[in-house]
Amino acid sequence: MSRLALPLAIGLLAVAFLTGAPAAAQRQDGGDRPMMSAGIAEDRIEVQVNYSGSEIVVFTAMPQPENDTLGLAVALVGKMTPQVMIRHTAQGDQRIQFVAAPEVFVFGEEKAVTDTVTPETMVEAGLSARSAALPRIEELLSPELEAWRTALVDLKTDQGLYTTGRVQFRHFEGGLRRANIELPLNAPPGEYTVKAVAFRNGRMVGESRQTFTLARGGLDATLFDLSQQHGLVYGFVAVFLGALVGGIAAWLQRK
Amino acid sequence: MLIHLPIAQVAVDPLILVVIGMVVGFLSGLFGVGGGFLLTPLLIFYGIPAAVAVSTQANQILATSIAGVSAHWRERQVDTQLGTLMLAGGLAGSTMGVGVFSVLKAFGIVDATISILYVVFLSVIGGMMAWESINALGKSDGGDPGRRTRFRLWMRGLPIKRRFPRSGLYISIIPPIGIGIIVGMLAAILGVGGGFILAPAMVYLLGVPTRVMVGTSLFQIIFLTGYVTFLQATFNGTVDLVLATVLMIGGVIGARYGAMAGKRMKAAQLRLLLALLVLAIAGRLVYETWFQPRPEYRLEAVA
Repeated sequence: MSRLALPLAIGLLAVAFLTGAPAAAQRQDGGDRPMMSAGIAEDRIEVQVNYSGSEIVVFTAMPQPENDTLGLAVALVGKMTPQVMIRHTAQGDQRIQFVAAPEVFVFGEEKAVTDTVTPETMVEAGLSARSAALPRIEELLSPELEAWRTALVDLKTDQGLYTTGRVQFRHFEGGLRRANIELPLNAPPGEYTVKAVAFRNGRMVGESRQTFTLARGGLDATLFDLSQQHGLVYGFVAVFLGALVGGIAAWLQRK
Repeated sequence: MLIHLPIAQVAVDPLILVVIGMVVGFLSGLFGVGGGFLLTPLLIFYGIPAAVAVSTQANQILATSIAGVSAHWRERQVDTQLGTLMLAGGLAGSTMGVGVFSVLKAFGIVDATISILYVVFLSVIGGMMAWESINALGKSDGGDPGRRTRFRLWMRGLPIKRRFPRSGLYISIIPPIGIGIIVGMLAAILGVGGGFILAPAMVYLLGVPTRVMVGTSLFQIIFLTGYVTFLQATFNGTVDLVLATVLMIGGVIGARYGAMAGKRMKAAQLRLLLALLVLAIAGRLVYETWFQPRPEYRLEAVA
């Protein structure tokens, strides 16, 4: 794996360790069931940069690892931006504006979660891409809302920004689990949230979320900043580059 | 292997881009056209945002045109006098075209106008070239069209005549400037370099020999694309230098082989191939504009 790549350079992040189950998780646990905590281990989100992409690595400490119904689901969500969608119909174009919807939604779950957790529970846990798009208040009760949300997810999936299953899980001794989240190369810079949710018997028993800022570095960032902040210089560089490459090619042809 | 494009904000396979650059560069070297009318839709089809595709193709064509024109320059097949006159007209026409574009935009008919203009020009030019070059291939040795055609009778009476030794012409400077203005206007409205209009106009309207036309057209395209690249990079920031560099690598290689292939072909064969290419683009545009089903949903950029 080469580190000479230009794609992304992202700041490292420390993730707080949750020692107890969140209130929501505790409410779901019945009195006859043992309490269980889950969370992201006190570690860091490590970003590995190479030519084929970047990864965010999340460590989680899971109690009762021998429990077969215990599973982990993670989602990388961000950055939240307004999104406008157009629907082409025979009667004309319709439009909707989502006040905020994630540019990127990367989701992954362990098999135990796939087998036991219902879609409704996923929505409650904030792990549903469709539910992440927030419409304006007057459109909350629209019967068309689900169709719009589904279309948004489909379009974003086509762009490679919404992905499912691009998270690899690995178990370690002592209940430690690692989730490698593959970051889309076209993920825009901005604020992101990593959610890690533990489920047992189909119920959410713990969650952790941490916000971090995705920033670009190296040549990638230099060119972007130059184009946005020093347009005149960027214009000269662009013309110079074209002339230089063309000149070198012409020179090589003569040789 | 994927790379991230800093301005386009997408991940792409550089090998695919190199191949696209080679194909367009080959056509550029062969026909003397910039190739923007082909490169832009190819890039958009590959997933590059339209604004970045339009701007960056100009930068790539700048490099391939410099590489392409050098071969023609050494063989004294570049008419710089004629090229400069057309360039002057082209820059003036581009400025006028930007104004016309604004008016069309204000009336909300810019997309329809662009589509219709494209189809009309591509079909008429491609059809005429194909017809003429097929006749030329059948009747003669496949060289340039006759000098005394009815297309050029009207030019004889025009004033301010100049001699253009490289092209072997003694004509008024008004037609080259006028052609440059029209091509510049269309280039500004259609968002292309205009080589596919300029090249046949030089051959059929001015009587420039086909091989001199290729070098002269590329000569003019260098300055026009340099101008467009500078404006787009400076004021819009939409030129992606990483994308341009990858395209240039393929483009300059393709341009070289295109120029080599052009030397082995008869002039009429060259014109027929260019005509078929132009007609193919027209056909694709007709399909896209009137027959291709539109996607039900799409995302729109938020201002």
